[in-house]
Amino acid sequence: MTTIETSSPPAVRSSRVNAAKLLSRYGTFAAFIALLIFNLIVTPNFVSWQTLNVNLTQVATIVIVAVGMTLVIATGGIDLSVGSLMAIAGAAAPMIFMGQLLPIENMGILIILSFILPILLVMAFGWFNGFLVTRFSIQPIVATLVLFIAGRGLAQVATNGNLQVFKNPDFQFIAMGRIAGIPAQVVVMIIVAILAHCLIRYTVIGRQIIAVGGNEKAARLTGIPVRRVKTFVYVISGALAGLAGLIVVARNSASDANLVGLGMELDAIAAVAVGGSLLTGGRANILGTVLGAFVIQLVRYTLLANGVPDAAALIVKAGLIIVAVFIQQRADKA
Amino acid sequence: MSMISRRTFMMAATAMGALALAGSVAYAELPALAKKDTYKVGFAQTESNNPWRIAQTESMKAEAAKLGYQLVYTDAAGSAAKQVADVNSMIAQGVDVIFLAPREEKPLIPAVMAAKKAGIPVVLLDRNVDQSLAKAGEDYVTFIGSDFIDEGKRVAEWLAKNANGKSKIIELEGTTGSSPANDRKKGFDEAITAAGGFEIVASQTGDFARDKGRQVAEALLQAHPDADIVYAHNDEMAIGAIAAIEAAGKVPGKDILVLSIDGGKEAVQAVVDGKIAAVVECNPRFGPKAFETMARFAAGEKIEPWVINTDKFYDASNAAAELSSAY
Repeated sequence: MTTIETSSPPAVRSSRVNAAKLLSRYGTFAAFIALLIFNLIVTPNFVSWQTLNVNLTQVATIVIVAVGMTLVIATGGIDLSVGSLMAIAGAAAPMIFMGQLLPIENMGILIILSFILPILLVMAFGWFNGFLVTRFSIQPIVATLVLFIAGRGLAQVATNGNLQVFKNPDFQFIAMGRIAGIPAQVVVMIIVAILAHCLIRYTVIGRQIIAVGGNEKAARLTGIPVRRVKTFVYVISGALAGLAGLIVVARNSASDANLVGLGMELDAIAAVAVGGSLLTGGRANILGTVLGAFVIQLVRYTLLANGVPDAAALIVKAGLIIVAVFIQQRADKA
Repeated sequence: MSMISRRTFMMAATAMGALALAGSVAYAELPALAKKDTYKVGFAQTESNNPWRIAQTESMKAEAAKLGYQLVYTDAAGSAAKQVADVNSMIAQGVDVIFLAPREEKPLIPAVMAAKKAGIPVVLLDRNVDQSLAKAGEDYVTFIGSDFIDEGKRVAEWLAKNANGKSKIIELEGTTGSSPANDRKKGFDEAITAAGGFEIVASQTGDFARDKGRQVAEALLQAHPDADIVYAHNDEMAIGAIAAIEAAGKVPGKDILVLSIDGGKEAVQAVVDGKIAAVVECNPRFGPKAFETMARFAAGEKIEPWVINTDKFYDASNAAAELSSAY
């Protein structure tokens, strides 16, 4: 009797732990597979290269931004400014290659500059986010709220709120071109995800990011440059947001400072949450984030293709996030 | 004691307020406009960050200059609060008439009421105010604007004549719940059902935005490969849809007819290029209609509550010729 009493509760608990752990580890993947199967049965014309193409090109910018967001969240922070930074980069690039900012005649140089300068610019803004977080110990959600609000304003002021329309095949290669038959932005997405995965897995700074998010005080005591690590993730997040901003404007042949990247911070955070990274920090699951973005994209596509209104898609997205976070918490508590 | 006195005070204040309200209700007469050779006219624009607004402002300024009227122009830069302040400053400057393009339905009511109290007639342009709080012919002279239902209807009627056997329609709606989106859908859907032989295979919102319109169009074109007509509620979504059609390896104008409303320069250029089949213009040129209505009002005519500003129509037959006059 006593043996049963003492041994059985732990046994029950451990099996529940396993189930929860398993679900938290493979839940996103299972959801993804379930969505695929659902689409194969229900959605008309789902099996085609064009479907893959549409979904991959549409998800690319979310993945790129969400990867940066994963790094920030891994340090226990959050970056609300990504959407506005997209707008800034998206507004700056056309101004550069249309020759409004710099007195340079050579188109080739202008094109190269219109990639480099906007990204450097938003990296500076990312650094500013990091500066507020580390120097003044402002909570990340408030510190990045500053640029969330002001950043879009800056982009609007710079363009006077006007739509910038352009046609420039060289610049637009990043969104319209194909590399070995694969859309360029999808290639960019894959490279970004792989690099970030390797950064977390195999580099010192990657380990330091996890350590800072796991226990900041302990990290500082072991000699990790906490401030530098934190600033680094905001700069990377800014750079990736800028890259995504360039892709969006290139794809649309137009830059609208009012709309580029609007709501992107929420999509990115949702992708991270669904992907299984803890929002309290200390864990960075890049592959999970990619899968999370895929799930969100596929949900949106499924509902659209089956004639469900957009409003319902938002509710389903919210439901997904709740389920994902719930599963994680269960796995962690157990 | 103090409680009672405070209550008495509150009751007195309430009574005073009610009296004041009664007073304002009793004052329910629309201000009149004297007949004069020249007028000092106010135009409170809501924002000027897009070609449509700029064309509207230009038209008002040009017409005022033509008539030799003095125009007091303000730009609220997208803020309802600033627009209320703008109208108040026009009242202080003693303008004869205020043309107001209200930013929002409710927040601009105080501005309309303040002008009325100061005895200055207000004419609303392109957007209306909340009809439960202010009425045409009572609080303001009239509302001048396009008929969004008719815009949708005209697209459908053109399509019924020129579809050439194409029949499966994807509709890209504007922002859910906005009046242009509701009306453009209503006008089109009713007219296309009446025409017969057409089928709307999918209808989803693209939020009046190019990027969203493109993404939604990509998904819908993929799910409905037999669709051969795209009807977008504005130019931005139509241009997004063209990008989606081209990405799907089809030719806009040949495989798929694209129809739009708004008629900005970029869209009219696309009609010239054959990418958009037809577009109904949402006319921004308010000057002639606005000042004509004002003259009628000054002459003592009773103005209908809604003066319709007529819209142009562009298709392959006239786009090239009209391109220079598109906004």
